Amino acid sequence: MSDSRTQEVLYETEAALRLVDRGLDGLRDDEGAAADAPSTGRVASGTSTALTFEGGLNELPAILERANAQILAVLARLRETRAAIETTTLERIASTHEKIREVTSATEDAAINIMDACDRATQMVDDLDAIDAEPTPDRERASTVRASLRDELFVMMGALQFQDITSQQLAHASSVLVDMEQRLIEIARLFDTRLDVSGKMTAIPEAPDAKTYDPNATVRDAESRQALADEIFTAVRSNAA
Amino acid sequence: MKFLVVDDSATMRRIVINSLQRIGFTDTVEAADGQEALARFDSSIRFVITDWNMPNMTGTDFTRALRARPDGAHVPVLMVTARSVKEDILTAMEAGVNNYIVKPFTPQVLKEKIDALLPAAAA
Repeated sequence: MSDSRTQEVLYETEAALRLVDRGLDGLRDDEGAAADAPSTGRVASGTSTALTFEGGLNELPAILERANAQILAVLARLRETRAAIETTTLERIASTHEKIREVTSATEDAAINIMDACDRATQMVDDLDAIDAEPTPDRERASTVRASLRDELFVMMGALQFQDITSQQLAHASSVLVDMEQRLIEIARLFDTRLDVSGKMTAIPEAPDAKTYDPNATVRDAESRQALADEIFTAVRSNAA
Repeated sequence: MKFLVVDDSATMRRIVINSLQRIGFTDTVEAADGQEALARFDSSIRFVITDWNMPNMTGTDFTRALRARPDGAHVPVLMVTARSVKEDILTAMEAGVNNYIVKPFTPQVLKEKIDALLPAAAA
């Protein structure tokens, strides 16, 4: 169900609830008037348009039947609302949950890659020490080991790219949470228009600037994603030529 | 040859600059977003490497603005970004990006893309 349909259902539910509320208020007013003028047998209908009390107790079954119909309609709307909320929010929550899991695994993968590179680098330093301890150090071999050592240090630095991608994934997760919180407050307002949420609204942190992150950012399948980019660039250029 | 490296992530700027130094390019200028990059760009810069998602001005908006300047119309722009869906790649091309690297990248890929654009940078 789309967001606009969800909004529509929520508004309709609110309208139905207001109608019942007005009807019940009217009924209360009428009961009060009846108590004030018991001798006439009839009371004014008050401001209610949905429920009236023109005929005294004789009309009570009909009034209750109409109130019951209104309540059933509201319940139907509530079920529809719940379905809408489930569809629109659960999918986003599931996707966000997946992103957060990916952050955990990306962090762990990067840590393992860096530790492996550290182990290899340590071994290379040991090799350099051994070469240095020889009576006639093999400079050529030492030079090769030093080049490999630089490569390992570079691998460690490259592994830190996960930080940029995971920060984008967390920014996306944060924006989903802010959105969910705002939606929940809107729903709470729907059921109680007098609800004071001004304090809570100010407590909600601002969502991250959407320009600063890609909701689909991932550390996975970098090679195949790079291949796609290369393929598109090649195809567009050859078409242009 | 002077490179301008644009990325809001300080980690990524450092990784790119270290990668450049490793392949022999030591003259670099940094910027944290498109606005700052536009302010720092001048005709001495022969190569631009930019991220896409940044505050204030994105990498694609920066590239469009750069292309509108006489001194930036032909400078090679290499985009390095996590975005990798087809529509994004086409948008980058339309903005004036000369080549595209998907994050996370390897130093080999960066070198290949730079090598391919060097003739344009030297022109």
